[in-house]
Amino acid sequence: MATDVMIQASGLSKRFGVVRALDKVNFEVKRGEVVGFLGPNGAGKSTTMRILTCFISPTNGSAKVNGNDVFDSPLEVRRSLGYLPQRAPLYTDMTVWDYLKFAAEIRGLDDATFKKRLKKVVEVCGLAQSLGKDISTLSHGYRQRVGLGQALIHDPPILILDEPTSDLDPNEKAEVLRYIKEIGKDRTILLSTHNLAEVEESCARAIIVSKGRVVADGPLDEIRGKTGRVRYVVSIDETRAEAGNKAPGVKEVQDALERLSGVKSVRELPTDEKAHKFELIGAQDSDLRAEIFRLMVAKGWTLLELRRDAQSLDAVFRDLTRGDEKLDRGAGWAAEDEDEDDDEGEDEKATAKSGSASDEDDDEDEDDDEDEDDDEDEDDDEDAADNAKSKGKG
Amino acid sequence: MSPMLIIAKREFRAYFDSPLAYVVICLSFLALGLLYFMWGGGFWQIDRATVSRLFEYTPMGLSFLIVPVVTMRLIAEERRSGTLEMLITLPVKDSDVVLGKYFGALGLVLVFVLATLAYPIAMFKWPWNLGPLDAGPVTSGYFGLILFSAASVAVGLLISALTESQAVAFFITFFVLGALWLLGDLATKAGGTAGVVLSYISFQSRLNGFWRGLVDTRDVVFFLSVTGLALVVAFRALERRKWA
Repeated sequence: MATDVMIQASGLSKRFGVVRALDKVNFEVKRGEVVGFLGPNGAGKSTTMRILTCFISPTNGSAKVNGNDVFDSPLEVRRSLGYLPQRAPLYTDMTVWDYLKFAAEIRGLDDATFKKRLKKVVEVCGLAQSLGKDISTLSHGYRQRVGLGQALIHDPPILILDEPTSDLDPNEKAEVLRYIKEIGKDRTILLSTHNLAEVEESCARAIIVSKGRVVADGPLDEIRGKTGRVRYVVSIDETRAEAGNKAPGVKEVQDALERLSGVKSVRELPTDEKAHKFELIGAQDSDLRAEIFRLMVAKGWTLLELRRDAQSLDAVFRDLTRGDEKLDRGAGWAAEDEDEDDDEGEDEKATAKSGSASDEDDDEDEDDDEDEDDDEDEDDDEDAADNAKSKGKG
Repeated sequence: MSPMLIIAKREFRAYFDSPLAYVVICLSFLALGLLYFMWGGGFWQIDRATVSRLFEYTPMGLSFLIVPVVTMRLIAEERRSGTLEMLITLPVKDSDVVLGKYFGALGLVLVFVLATLAYPIAMFKWPWNLGPLDAGPVTSGYFGLILFSAASVAVGLLISALTESQAVAFFITFFVLGALWLLGDLATKAGGTAGVVLSYISFQSRLNGFWRGLVDTRDVVFFLSVTGLALVVAFRALERRKWA
């Protein structure tokens, strides 16, 4: 290979009818890179991956995988990569062994190579206990492992994984991420997810897409710095104060914090403790901690917590993609949503991360609920009809 | 082994990994037996030791039940469950997928067709011997059945490639193959130009010659053309996902 660029997308656009799923997407992934492909649901992650694996064709633009064009030589492209589609769709009527054998046969592995690779794949994906089981009896987590197994069976130089850790429990997730990091040493991996903790754990670089466009592309640190804000969390005891001063009220604290120079915004956070908890947003290159400390001393307030976060990837992600979300949800609802999101994001990073995932879950749940309601309505109607009948008979 | 054969093998095996193959083949045999011996006066009333009735009823069973059931899941189910993405992103050509699935399903249908050989063998060779078997028409009849199966399965596959729902695929295939069969009856009733046109496209009138021992090149070409056309359209339908 003359070039080190393993995956190259140039000007990829894809339309589904009137919907523009991808809009001139450009990126490159070099040999040995593990790249996180991030975006809210419907941002075009899967569409991009399907184009790269030659499952669908772009409306415009071109893509090269391992130097082969997805238009001209789809078979070469597919040979050089292992692909795990979203939710790992597998033939449920086959056993795990049969399935892996099937994938290996189609990829032209001979028996000896298959056995050798199988041993490795089983070890890596933890499939030893389930080789003889029917895939239909496996949990989602195990199906995901089998899917990962078939993507690795031919030892490909490039891996494209569409949400490889969805449906896995935390232990399995950690295991898969550890493995991705390990195999990423000599392979190129493009991995899509909306779980940002995973990206921070396993990737050095991220591409963030939103509404079919690349909104950020670069090393994680660079992306984090992109919005140029620093966040401080301050908690102050609300029951007492130092040196005979009286305990401060919420309004008093908030006003005092807002008057500090360099503070862009102040917002009260919910807390379990008997304390006033505030979030301050400051400029990227400033440090407000000394100022805050001096304020506390001057006022005689009891400082329980002072924390400075460089902005988490999560917040950047939301900053970059929220505008589009707003459009999706209708302008009138946007303000409300913002509050909700922020509340979730306040406390620990971890909760914020699960928060962003659960956002989407919530949406789904809502849909489900609606469906259920409908069903119930129907049931009610039926019941009513039954009652009417029985009354008629009576 | 070529990817096409591997897919065909997997497809064929999948039928036997589920109860589908056993249920369909066993029930169809039962139904065929009933039709053959009891229906329309029954075997004993017509006073002739002949298997021609076999060639009359088997294609009906194929059109109305076996082929729709066997082909309904081929592509529709893969599309719905998403396994199609997994399959196609393996290094296989779309044509491998279509042909592999086609031969897998055709294999199962031919298992059924060839199993009906049990009837002529049981009646004319062992354990019963009702007289000498007229091998000519039986051979040409089976040749016709194989061609007929090839065309029907191709039509079923095409319809399965057009939808995501097995049930829809089943009913459309049932309807289309049923119509192609019954057009033959209609053709005899209609007569005239309409009758000629109808009998031209009817699977039934195309198959008539075979079980009387007449292998007409036009009929052979007809079935092969239907097969080829349906497979090409199915291939296009599968390819359409790229652009839709």
